[in-house]
Amino acid sequence: MDDKIVEFISLLRSNGLRTSLSEDLDAFAAVSRMGLGDRTQLRDTLRATLVKSTLDIATFDELFDLYFGGLADAMKQVETASRQALQVDDGDYQDLIDSLAEILEQMDVDLSDLAQHLLQDDTGQLERRLREAAREADLGNIERSFQEGRYGHSVAQILGIGGLAQELERLKEQLGDLDPDLQERLAKLIDQRLQDLTNMIKRMVRLELQKRDQTLRENQRERSLEDKSFYYLSEEEVRQMKEAVAKLAQRLKNVVAIRRRKGKRGKFDVKATLRRNLQYGGVPFRIQFDRRIKDRPQVMVLCDVSDSVRNVSRFMLQFVYSLQDLYARVRSFIFVSDIGEVTQMFEEFEIQEALDQSLSGGVINIYAHSDFGRAFRTFHRDHLEAVNKRTTVIVLGDARNNYNAAHEWVLRDVKLRAKQVIWLNPENRLTWGFGDSEMDRYMPHCDIVEECRNLKQLYAVVDRMVH
Amino acid sequence: MFTSIDDVIEKFAAERYICDRRIATVVYLASELQKPILVEGPAGVGKTELAKVTARALGHDLIRLQCYEGLDEAKALYEWEYAKQLLYTQILKDKIGEVIGAAPTLAEAVDRIANEDDVFFSDRFLLPRPLLQAVSSAEPSVLLIDEIDKADSEFEAFLLEVLSDFQVSVPELGTLRARHVPIVVLTSNNAREMSDALKRRCLHLYIDFPTADRELEIVRLKVPDVRDELAEQVVAVVQKIRDADLKKTPSISETLDWAKALTLLNVGHLDDALVDETLSTILKYEGDLRKGQEELRAHLAKRKAEAAATSSPGDDASKDMLH
Repeated sequence: MDDKIVEFISLLRSNGLRTSLSEDLDAFAAVSRMGLGDRTQLRDTLRATLVKSTLDIATFDELFDLYFGGLADAMKQVETASRQALQVDDGDYQDLIDSLAEILEQMDVDLSDLAQHLLQDDTGQLERRLREAAREADLGNIERSFQEGRYGHSVAQILGIGGLAQELERLKEQLGDLDPDLQERLAKLIDQRLQDLTNMIKRMVRLELQKRDQTLRENQRERSLEDKSFYYLSEEEVRQMKEAVAKLAQRLKNVVAIRRRKGKRGKFDVKATLRRNLQYGGVPFRIQFDRRIKDRPQVMVLCDVSDSVRNVSRFMLQFVYSLQDLYARVRSFIFVSDIGEVTQMFEEFEIQEALDQSLSGGVINIYAHSDFGRAFRTFHRDHLEAVNKRTTVIVLGDARNNYNAAHEWVLRDVKLRAKQVIWLNPENRLTWGFGDSEMDRYMPHCDIVEECRNLKQLYAVVDRMVH
Repeated sequence: MFTSIDDVIEKFAAERYICDRRIATVVYLASELQKPILVEGPAGVGKTELAKVTARALGHDLIRLQCYEGLDEAKALYEWEYAKQLLYTQILKDKIGEVIGAAPTLAEAVDRIANEDDVFFSDRFLLPRPLLQAVSSAEPSVLLIDEIDKADSEFEAFLLEVLSDFQVSVPELGTLRARHVPIVVLTSNNAREMSDALKRRCLHLYIDFPTADRELEIVRLKVPDVRDELAEQVVAVVQKIRDADLKKTPSISETLDWAKALTLLNVGHLDDALVDETLSTILKYEGDLRKGQEELRAHLAKRKAEAAATSSPGDDASKDMLH
């Protein structure tokens, strides 16, 4: 049994569930205490010790059923199907099997083991034979569905289906002396059992494939939302993401509030306290903290809202606005080729409503082709005055400029005035600067350039901004 | 200690906590293997209750540590009572004078004071917080670390020593080892993923909302006065509403509140108007309330249409359509 559990664990690993050695040991300790009597109990035991993430529970359950129940269940199904094909109920079927066994004994026919197991409906023995054959045929190596036929064939060969068929054929001839009605029913049963065996082999190979074929499950397995790229979100995930952003923002807010509280109070200053309390004979009567005063940063967000990056902009805006009270002032602009300010909108409406309105095309034409250069020039003309040494300017965009003029000098001017310029690019870093991406031109004029493709990265960036 | 899985179920039932075999298996394993349990699941499915009930069932003390952002060692493990130490120093000034009084040299006076150092770093001035309490307790105990996801990840890392070896290092006193390994229950609402290191040390248990049957069982147990028909209807409505896309899904405790409220109002069965009036017991947001009402109305209309198709028209069955 230990071998089976070890094999099951390696199966879990190959399906992307990470289990460590210490967890394996726990599983063994737990199983040895709980015993193997009950399959549900075994499942609960293994699940509690091996699966530590809610996301993995479904995968675990599926694999458990395939692995521990798989073959026996499949064999049962095959037999139920065969009973239906013979059009007999369970009782009749058993009678038929019994009478065949009796007749065989009377006639003193010498049958091979396999034929006996098959004709006497000895499921346990059959399962053992099937597993042995599977091991011999290296069925564990099956990887793709086109190999099903080949492996099925070799398992059948190892079991000796050919010989078995001849043997059963001879047996049917020997039954010729019986009452024609009974003889016909028995012949049918024998044919059906042979068919059953072939079906069982097929099912076994299919099961094995399901266990090994990771591509089947990889797509099902939902990766953690935090790691998912903004580009590939389904509608449902966008909704979940909104909640996740709100949650993360709340968390960040609390953390920053604590940090600030501590920061405001400052650390306990031993030297200053001692010096100050000399007048009280060294009894620390008045505690001295070192004080640090911190500015709340001003933020200007410039979000590209062209088709390609709209999701990211959406979450960025949501994030920044959820955190509004951490900043002295937040101003946001959205651009495609025009640039427009949406700060007002966020003051008037609830956040989701404001997001929807600003991204629906009322402020600027959002269906134009991206033109960073033009948008930047307009920003330079209208809003440069508002940038001062306390302002953090954040540009969010993929820098895909449709081969228009880049006008990177605007960023240079902004950088001269601002506290810092941050550029967040939702594209993979490897693709920057290729095609119409102007990232290389903009990069030298920014203090921080970050890839920002998923929630985790977004969180890290925003966390840095509030420091 | 528990003797078997059935024993867990029985003892929990005696404490009026209904649990399925899966939960019982994990609790039993935890007490057998002396491993902490990490319980995850939506809010209000009885995660915290699990720890409380375990403590009651075993007759152990429950020691609770509520986590929050900014929780640190000083609040979770121990703290030196500096004020008390200072006070003692002041009061004992004369005594110190006696101790060093006869010392011929300064060096010897320092040595003598150093010999008395231990006095000031002893249990007397140690303020034990929940973790140290659990480790040093003379009686076996159940330690509940609630909402671990709210604590910072540094705190999580710090917990590892406690959870894997059940020992605590106090630099001045050395390492304290637990006399009785406590049963540890950690709960998490999934505000963030726990670190792998922490997960590795725990057994994992996911508690979801209960099935209709089980929830009905819980309602009947916790609100004994409830009428059967009402209990069924309440559970049916709550189960239905949980499927809708809501900001906050009603939990078991809300089902119970609703059933209690309706029982107090002496209601025998639910009807449209009553649902509208009291739905605010289980739905806590204005938007959710609207959605919930729409959902139920649509559900009702469908049921009515179905009923009309099967029975004769004009049948006054509309009131019982909720389940």
